[in-house]
Amino acid sequence: MATGTAPAAPLTPAVFAILLSLAEGEKSGSPATGLGRWGGKHGYLIMKDARAPQGGGVRLGPGTLYGSLDRMMRDGLVEESGVSDDERRRYYRLTNLGHSVLAVELERLDAAVASARSLGLLPDGGRS
Amino acid sequence: MTQSTPSHAGCLERIYASALRLYPSPFRQVYGPLMLQTFRDALQDSTLSRRTLIPLVVRDLITSLAKEHLTMLRDTFSRPALVFNALVLTGLATGLAFALYSIPQQVLRLGANDPQIQLAGDLAARIEDGVAPADAIPADSVDMARSLSPFVIAYDDQGRPLASQAQLNGKIPAPPSGVFDNVRRHGEERLSWQPILGTEHGVRIAAVLKRVGGTHPGFVLAGRNMREVEAREDQVGQMAGLTWIGMLGVIVLGTAVFGWYTRPTTT
Repeated sequence: MATGTAPAAPLTPAVFAILLSLAEGEKSGSPATGLGRWGGKHGYLIMKDARAPQGGGVRLGPGTLYGSLDRMMRDGLVEESGVSDDERRRYYRLTNLGHSVLAVELERLDAAVASARSLGLLPDGGRS
Repeated sequence: MTQSTPSHAGCLERIYASALRLYPSPFRQVYGPLMLQTFRDALQDSTLSRRTLIPLVVRDLITSLAKEHLTMLRDTFSRPALVFNALVLTGLATGLAFALYSIPQQVLRLGANDPQIQLAGDLAARIEDGVAPADAIPADSVDMARSLSPFVIAYDDQGRPLASQAQLNGKIPAPPSGVFDNVRRHGEERLSWQPILGTEHGVRIAAVLKRVGGTHPGFVLAGRNMREVEAREDQVGQMAGLTWIGMLGVIVLGTAVFGWYTRPTTT
């Protein structure tokens, strides 16, 4: 079990996108969408989520993805949830610490967006 | 959007598999097959064009290779035990190099007084026996700035020169009055003396100043130019410095090799 310390905010775009993707998978996941039966997502699904506008539009490559996952597992944000039968894919899910770190980061971003809106830098009701 | 033939995809896959060999071995062993599978998945994704995928993967290879190698170096060499060992060895090497310099330097410096101790003692004894200072001083003249020969000078009780075998810029130099006061109390002092007369500043003398008793009290000084001794001290300093640099090099190399073979593996 990982026993690392949570990274200080702000998170890197890659770490944020991975946390967001895994959190989204837990909310809406089903095996039909490519999620493992253990819960969690494999590497390419995370890459795909990150690339999507709602995932942050972060263009992750395999090296950055697995380098980030390695460090996030050491920090205790993410854990492996299973391996596919042919052992070609590993599935990852958030830990409790990962959920907390994502929540803190989202609050930070939310406060920044609210501040930008109050300064008139974003239209009221605009996408945040 | 154009997707290429399976053989083209297989070729890209082989190229990517070869590029994975550039990653640090522990990282590659754990994540190499997963990265290859992820690349394979991306090649099969009809929503991702090759025109987007290839530049993305090339950029990712460059940045993540650099990052993983730096991470491996940091994980390998920033371990507290390894750093502590290197610092202890560096401290020992520095202490040893300092000893290699300071011990021979002291031996050379103390040895530079040897003839003067005897000369000052003999001259003081002759003057105390009643020989006039001018008669007790050898007749031959020594240029303090140029000659390495030992010389003697006699001073009266106030530290004024009475007779001298040596001169500097045509004059007889005298040590500071505080030195005479100290010799009055202790009988003798051995010092490195830099006489300053006019513009002459570069002459350093290994001197022995001795108190003279008897009916005509005063002082005698025996000295010798330290030029040669200082040149040897410089040589010792250079050898000790080179030894220190060599030892640091061995420590760095040894730490690097030891750190590499005991590096932590990615789990």
